[in-house]
Parts: sequence; C-alpha cells; structure tokens
Amino acid sequence: MVRDDFDQRLRDRLEGVTEPAPDVWEGISQGLARRRRKVVFRRFTVAAAAAAAVLALALLVFRGPRDDGQVEAPVQIAGTIEPVEAPVVAPAEVSVPDIAPIEEQIAALPRQAVAAARVTKPAAPKAAVAAEPVVETPVTVVPPVEEPAVQEPVTQEPAAAPAEEPKGDETKHLLTEEDLPADYWTREESSRASRSRTHTSQISILSNLTTVASDGDLLYIPNASHASSQNGKSQAVSDIEPISATNAPKFYSPLTFGVQVAFPLTDRLSIATGVNYSYLVSQFDILYKKVLYEGAYNQLHYVGVPLALSWHFVQTPHLGVYASVAGTAEKCVAQRYVFGSNVASEKVKGLQWSAKAGVGIEYWFIPHMGVYFDPSLVYFFDNQQPLSIRTQQPLQANFELGFRFRI
Amino acid sequence: MRETSTYTEAELISGCTHGDRNAQRMLYDRYASVMYPVCVRYLGREDAKDVLQEGFLTVFDKIGTYKGEGSFEGWMRKIFVNASLMHLRKTDVLRRTEDIDEVPEAGGVLEHGVLEQISSREILDLVAALPAGLRSVFNLFVMEGYSHAEVGALLGITEQSSRSQLSRARSLLQEKIKELYHGKR
Repeated sequence: MVRDDFDQRLRDRLEGVTEPAPDVWEGISQGLARRRRKVVFRRFTVAAAAAAAVLALALLVFRGPRDDGQVEAPVQIAGTIEPVEAPVVAPAEVSVPDIAPIEEQIAALPRQAVAAARVTKPAAPKAAVAAEPVVETPVTVVPPVEEPAVQEPVTQEPAAAPAEEPKGDETKHLLTEEDLPADYWTREESSRASRSRTHTSQISILSNLTTVASDGDLLYIPNASHASSQNGKSQAVSDIEPISATNAPKFYSPLTFGVQVAFPLTDRLSIATGVNYSYLVSQFDILYKKVLYEGAYNQLHYVGVPLALSWHFVQTPHLGVYASVAGTAEKCVAQRYVFGSNVASEKVKGLQWSAKAGVGIEYWFIPHMGVYFDPSLVYFFDNQQPLSIRTQQPLQANFELGFRFRI
Repeated sequence: MRETSTYTEAELISGCTHGDRNAQRMLYDRYASVMYPVCVRYLGREDAKDVLQEGFLTVFDKIGTYKGEGSFEGWMRKIFVNASLMHLRKTDVLRRTEDIDEVPEAGGVLEHGVLEQISSREILDLVAALPAGLRSVFNLFVMEGYSHAEVGALLGITEQSSRSQLSRARSLLQEKIKELYHGKR
C-alpha cells in the first residue's frame, strides 16, 4: 500500500467518527458561571479604577490652586498692613475686617510676599494714605514680587512705629525681621508642610503582595499535613477534606486590593480604615466523598476591614515617612474547590484576625496625589480558617503599594 | 419547547453569542460526540474528557469571533485541536518524544483489505495509543493537512524530525493494524 493511499484511507475512516462523549456539561456549566463572574469582577474593577481616576482629576482641578498659598496671600497681607497705616487717619470706628491673629496669617504667607509688604510700606506717603479710604490701601500695596528686599533700607521704620501703635492691639504691630526667631522661616516651612500633610484626609487605593511566592509562582511547603488536619479539617462541614497524600500543598501568592480613608488625629498621628479584598489560591490533595483527588485547587475570597494608626515622623511637601500599626478583621465570603471537572463550594464560619506593623514611605508628586510603599510584617491569628498560606505561615512579610489622594 | 434538532446551526450560534445557556447546552449536545474523538486522537481517552470540557468553554468564549466563513464544525475542530496541543504542551509530553527513536521501523506494507476489516473505533484507539509525539505529528499531518514545516513550527521540532516521526507513526500503525487483523482471524 502506497503511503499517501494509506494516509487517505485512514483519514476517511477517522474523519467521520463520532463517539458518545462523557458528560462534562456540569463542568462546562460551572466554568461558564465562573467566567461570567470574572467578567463582572473585571468590569467592576475597571469602573472602580475609572472612578478613582475621575476623583483624582476632580481633586486636581478643583483643589489644586489653594495649596501654594499665592492666590490668597494679597488679601491676608492687606489685613496685616492696614492697621499700621491707620493711626494717622483712621479713627477707632473704622471697621477692620474680621481677621485671624497675625501669627496665623504670617504663617500662611509665602516668605517673599511678606518681605515685599514690609519694604513697600515706607514708600507710601502718609498724606496719600490719609486721603483715601483705608480699605483700598492693601490692594495697591501687596503684589508678591520676587525682587523685593534691596530697594529700601528697613532699619528706619522700627524706631517710629512703636510710638504710633495703640497699645493692646496686636494687629497694629509693625512686623520686622527682628521680631522673628532666626530659624522662623525654616521651622515655618516645615510646619506648613506638616499641616498640609496631616490636616488633610486621604483616600488610598492599594494592592498587596506577600513574600510567599516571591521567587516564583509557587512555594513548596513541607509538613503540610499538620496544618491540614488542624485548620482544614476543623472547618470541614461538607464531604471535602484536605489531606496530605502524595503531594505537599502549594500556595500561590495572595493578592489584596483595597480602598482606605485616612483622617488626621494630630499633626503627626492619623487613623485609617477602609475595605480590602484578598484572593488566596492553594493546591493540595483532597478527599471528596472518600475519593482522593490530587492537586485540587482551593480558592478563598476574603473581604476585610482594617483599622490603622500611623505616626508621621518625616513630613516634607513631597516626602513622608511613617510607622504604622493595624488590625484587620476579614470574612471569607467564598470558598471554592476545583478538581477535575468538579467545582464545590463551602461556607466558612468566623473571622480571620490579623495584626500588622511596619513603616511606610510616601511621595507626593503633585499636591493632591502621591504614591506610597508600605513594607510590613503581618501576623494572622489562628481563627480556625480553611487551609491557606495564612494558616500555614502565620507571620508574613507584606508589601503594600498604592496611590493616595488628598481630599 | 422546540426539539433540539429543530434549531438551525445559525440559531444556536446566535444564542451562544448572547450567552443563552439553553443554546449552549444544545450546541454541546450536538457536537460533543463529534469533538470527543478529535480529543481522543490527540490525547487518548484519559485526558480527552478534560480537554473536551476546556474546548467547549473556549468555543463559548470565542463564538462571537466566528464570521460564518467556512464550516462551523471545522472552526470548532480547530479549537479542540489547539486545546489538545495546549494540553500536550502543558503536560510537557511533547518534549519527551525522544524515546520515539526507540520505536522500530515496521517492515513491509499493509495488504489491501486489511484496513477495511478494522472498525473506525479500533483505528481511533490505535492512533490514541501511539506515543504522544508520533500521535501529534500523525494527526497534524494526516488528519489536519499541515505541512511538515507547519507541524515542526506547531510542535517546536525540526521539519526533518516531523518527517521522521510521521514515518515511524505510519510504521507503528501498520504493525498494530496487522496484529489486530491477524488476531481477529
């Protein structure tokens, strides 16, 4: 028989072959449902990311200009300068705008704006000031300019000014460089950064990775039978039971995503809470209805609420370093076993509690948006949860990455 | 409710495109017995069941991309062939095909009338029983009509290796068919 003829005849015999197939519709049906959930989850994630982007954009557009202080500075300077000129021409009944104490106003000013105001004052003739309503003076006085200090000596002013000052009125004190401590501006810049940083609530969008599978997709954990019998069996309410048969369990790197809101408590202390979602996948042998299935996949979905306290010990306009402690309560909202063409679900009772301590660093590349990185150690308490990397290795190194938005 | 057989292929495809579970079930009922032997040819009966399930999931996932060009059955068959090859790659079977050098060349040719005495299912089982590498080359070259260059690219082997493995697959099949034929007599 010629080769091609042999091929052709074999093809003819095999091409039309039909054979009753084993019933795998149940597995297909469950697979379709899983894929449907994935699609929904993906759409939800995209929507959440889009919402976060819109939120960030809105914050940038509507809150951005306030942060540098330049826009509001002239009005504040006006309030400050006005009473200095006033004693000559303005009687007591002149209404002074309701202004904050001078120290607070100065603190809010950019340095060059105050310097400009101070040297401009002697140049304004008293007669001209007297001829005009007091409230208009500030508008002409205060443009914050970059090259202020060299135009006029300021040393002549302090001698005359105190004599004209009404006593007991703090707003009429003439500000001079000598009134300020030598390191006033250094401390003030640091303080402003601090207030800007800690007196603002924040939203964080985060994702976590643990070191569990840092050098590959899987981590081989020996001696898994102990954890299996302790953790898996105690929660086995159905026919599924993790066992250590021929293979040791394997644990994929857990993934966590979440959103947190932080509120300042003091200048340096803040508290944060939010919602986290964690996804854990393990692979181990199981007994299902007394039949051994090797390499079954176990998927755990946790939703948790963290509560964290952070102490910010370095705060500059762009950089922050802090230490934090946190506790988290997590509920396993779904547990699923996938083995062969079967999928089985189990309910999980109780909560998974964990404690975390670590340090973090954040970088604000624009006033209202930054990134942060929090390496930490997390300890998962024994709360009779299903077998996972958390029950197998309760102490884990955790790396959290995310975006922060000031609101 | 209409009988499954009364739905046209176009109606089923449309239903599946829209995620209609009934349409998906009917499509499965109609084609499972056709696609299962394809999987058996590539993988043997043991693994064919898993790939049958995975293949149908892919079909339902990708059915929106079927443009109606060519036969739908042919389009589906390609998906199951790809799923089978993926499975072979995943289980690393194709890399372990060096042992085919140990397969002896069968002597002689198959006499006329011998093949006709063997049932299609028996031939299917003989193909399924070939070593994975030989089986893959045989299926891709003889059944799917790929050239040796294409088979080599698909399986990650050289063109020459494809030729050599096909030759051994033919020899082995002829040998087994003869044995089966003589066993029946």
